[in-house]
Order: sequence, then C-alpha cells, then structure tokens
Amino acid sequence: MALVELERDRVAEEVKSRAETGESPIQILEECRRGMTIVGERFQKGDYFLAELMLSGEIFKGAMAILEPYLAKVGPSKPLGKVVLATLQGDIHDLGKNIVAIMLKAQGFEVHDLGVDVAPGLVVEKVRETAPDFVGFSVLITTAFDSMKQAAAMLREAGLREQFKLMIGGGVTTTVVKDHVGADFQTTDATEGVAYCLDVMRGG
Amino acid sequence: MASETMTSQERVQAAIQLEKPDRVPIAILATAAPFARISGMAAAEFYRNEDKANNAIYKVFDDVGGWDLDLGSVTGKSIMMMKTVMTLALGLRLAYPGMELPDDYAYQACEEEVLKPEDYATIAEIGWVKFMTEDLVFRVLDITPAELNQTLNEIIPSVFKGKDEWAKRGVVTMYPPSPFTCHPFFRLSLGRSMVKFTEDLYYNPEMIEGALKTMTREFIETTINGCKMFNNNMTLVVEERAGGYFYPLRIFERFWWPYTQEIVDALWSEGIVTWFHLDTSWDRNIPYFKQLPRGSVVLALDGTTDIFAAKEALRNHACLAGDVHPTLLSLGKPEEVEAYCKKLIDEVGGDGGFFLSSGCELPAAIKAENLRAMVRTGKTYELSKK
Repeated sequence: MALVELERDRVAEEVKSRAETGESPIQILEECRRGMTIVGERFQKGDYFLAELMLSGEIFKGAMAILEPYLAKVGPSKPLGKVVLATLQGDIHDLGKNIVAIMLKAQGFEVHDLGVDVAPGLVVEKVRETAPDFVGFSVLITTAFDSMKQAAAMLREAGLREQFKLMIGGGVTTTVVKDHVGADFQTTDATEGVAYCLDVMRGG
Repeated sequence: MASETMTSQERVQAAIQLEKPDRVPIAILATAAPFARISGMAAAEFYRNEDKANNAIYKVFDDVGGWDLDLGSVTGKSIMMMKTVMTLALGLRLAYPGMELPDDYAYQACEEEVLKPEDYATIAEIGWVKFMTEDLVFRVLDITPAELNQTLNEIIPSVFKGKDEWAKRGVVTMYPPSPFTCHPFFRLSLGRSMVKFTEDLYYNPEMIEGALKTMTREFIETTINGCKMFNNNMTLVVEERAGGYFYPLRIFERFWWPYTQEIVDALWSEGIVTWFHLDTSWDRNIPYFKQLPRGSVVLALDGTTDIFAAKEALRNHACLAGDVHPTLLSLGKPEEVEAYCKKLIDEVGGDGGFFLSSGCELPAAIKAENLRAMVRTGKTYELSKK
C-alpha cells in the first residue's frame, strides 16, 4: 500500500530489504503491480490525477531496478502480451508514451519502446521482429498524423496489420484521427489504454 | 448582410468588457509552422528570412479575410534569433527546424531536466531574469554572452516593426509580442521537466515556493513595464500544466492560484487585462476564476476544457476564447469547421464576452480552407442574421 500512497522512499526501502532477506522477487513484484492497479483505479474514479500516475510509475520503475538482479536469477517470466510503442516522425514528445509504457510494464506486458521521431519503416521492422499484440502511437504534434497513417499503411502492405491491435493516444487525438490512421483504439487517457490492452488479452 | 460597425480595436475591447460587439472578434495565435504550411514553405525557410516570412503571414491574413487580434505572429531575423527568443521565454532546450530538426518540422520542446533542485534557491534570491540570462540560457543554447546581447538588442526593433505592421492592418496586438510568456509555475515545470517538477511538488514543496514568490513579483514588474513600453493594456500568460488534468486542487490551490491572483490583481490595478492561454482540461479549476475582478481576464481554452460549461460558470464575469480543436482544423472539412464555429458563436458568444479562436495555437498541420472557414464564419455569421 506504500506505493498506492506514493511513499517513494518507503517503497524503495521495503522492496530492498524484502529482496535481500530472500523473499520471492516475483511475489514482491506482484504486490507492486497490484499497487499500480489501485492507482489506476483511483485515477479512473477521479481521486488521483495524472501527477499521481506519473509518480507511481517512477516509484514502480525504482522498485523494478532493485528487483531486476533478483528476477534475473529466477529466470524470465512469460509476459502478459507484447506492445510496440513509438512517437512517430515529426514529433519528439514522449511524456504520454512514457507513462503508458511504465503502466503497461506494471501490468506484465513486454514493452518495446522505439522512442521519438521514429520513421514508419522502423515500426514495420520492429513488428516483424517482435510479433506484438499491440502497436501504440503517441502524438502531440498534428503533423505526425500523416506519419501514423503512413506507418499503418506500411504495416498493411507488409501483411502484418491483422496480427495486432493498433492504438493511438495523445492530447490532440480524437476519433477522427483514429479513422484517419485506421487504428483500432484511441484515447487521451493512459489508464484507458492499459485497460484496453488487458481487455483484449482477456478476449474482450 | 449587415456591415461591420466597429473597428477591431473597439470589437476587442467590447468583448473583454463582456459586451456584445457587432460580430465576434477573431483571435489568432500561431508560430511559424502553420503559416509556413499554408504558404507552401518549410518552417526552417520561414525562420531564415524575416521579410519573406512576414510577407507570407500578411498574405495569409489577406487571403483568409483578416483577423482582429494577433497574439504574436511575428518572426525574427534568423532561426537562431527565434530560437534564442523562445528559449528565453520558455527556459528549456528547444529543437528547431533547420538546426536540430529537418527543415519541414515544427519547432519542439525537449522534456529535459535543465533546471536542478538547487536552482530554486538561486532563483528565489536573484530572480528569474538574471538567472535565465546569466546562467540557464547558456546551459541550453550554444551562444556566447556577446551573441546573446546582440540578439537581445535586435529583438525590440523587430518587435516594434511587427507591431506597426499589424497596426497598419487595423489588427490589435498584445504584450508580449511573441506568443509565449509563461506563468512562473509553468516556467519551473518546463525547466525541471514534468516528472521532476511533480516529484518536487509532492516530496520537496518548500523549495519551490521561494522561487515562485520571487518570480511572481518579478513577472508583475516586467509585465507592467513591458505594457507601458509597448503601449498595451493586455498581456498573455501561458499555462499548460497547472490545471485539473495534471494536478489535484490542493496542488493548484497552493502553487498556482495565489500567485495567479497576485498577478491578475496587480496588473488589473494598472488597467491591464490578462489573457490566459490554458491548455489541457481546466474543468475543475474554472470556478476559481470567478474570484478575480470582473472583466480582468480572458481565458483561452484549447478544446479539452468544456467551454460551454465554462461559459455558464463565468457568464458576465470573464471573457472566453476558443476553441476550434486542432484536429478539426487539421483533418476536418470546412463545413464541419463552420458548423462548430456557429455553435460557439451562438452558445458561448451569444451575449458577448467571447473571442473565436483555435484551441491552443493554430496547429502545424492546418488546412488553409479550414482557417478560411473559421475566419469567414466569424466575420459573416452574425452580420448575415441582422
């Protein structure tokens, strides 16, 4: 619950001491994930704000960094799903994308973050390499609308488009942009994006 | 169709004073990218040639039918000059077309931690302007002190020239003549970066407050002096991160609202109206503005705040501006833009106190026909009904 209350230092101390005393890192990680889920629920209810989502993400990242060497010893776990994220050509903003990335990781997704100002061709390559369940484009600058549309077209031409759900997100996106790009899902809310991925993986 | 009976100046003043003008005034906030796109130029080309760029802006102005209030569509003598001006205004690292970015990109902010925690105390002690011009600018810009001085000396004549050109066209301008003067809170957030600043607010809040106090006092003083120097009675304040989309009200009430009240009260006592450029959703925060003196502010909303609800909350108390969504202007059809503008004019501008404008600044991917539709609707819709 320290994570839910955004007690940054207490989370780090507890994770460290529990890992050092031999407690299962998977169990500790699972508790952190549950905390992130509660933060997301509070956000959905309007009790928490984007600030708290960001802070919880940073705390989770810190916990993961502590747990990483312990997790490496117990071997890799099967991810819940795979996601490729990118801010495409014409746009170098990544605040929203980074929040979504950490929240997806917190839910057990394997996230391949291609960064910002990404050429559409690189997305095709990454999709071919990783066979993701989702591809997500983050956007703040309207000139990147066409880069998203181009990437979607290239993925179709490569015969890859049917293999994943395409999501777009960011303050300037609307359902009009979703239709323009040919995406399956659009949101301006990071927690909605994560909920969509979970829903799809559960067969929704 | 009835004819216009007011000048742009009269129309703008009427709207601010919450009166009903002859028709809705049209306000434009734009940096180079949308004008460059409409003019068929790369953004970098736009920045490289001041005269060519300004002529392109005035041609767009003529082609779409002209607007009443311009919030800073001026250019500099070079990319470096514009980058320096914007860096001084925003206080963070910027990437510009023709420099760090390809020629046809819009300029963009880099979300980096250029301001360190220890800088809060320095800012509290020496003020933002001194800190910015003697320290921070050299962290984020490859420029020598001599080059910085030269740029600063070139800015003011360039600004007066732009102001004169708009005045020749009957267009009202405001202080400052570049489109970004940030609220102290926003300035610190940009410099620290969103995540780091949020951590400071939650885990080390005391260190921020000293800086905010000094910056607010300084902001008031420089704005009043600037308004006198440029003979303006309206000033622009940009805030994109303090609203209810990002922070709970307890943060807003402690770190934004008192400083904002102080700014507005001080400026209003000098007869200066504050035009707030408020991005992201401010739905939760809108009722606070009722505490400010009637007619002392204009709230420009970006399409994510419910402008219709804001009108109900602030009717006959504060003027609103907005909020044709950037996506509508970029991907929509002219008839869709026209329909939304009519809705705004009827429902938000019906009893006055409203500027028709884009949500946020004109988007980089704007279509010329959509800008034309927005301006045409603003200029003709009400007059055609008289």
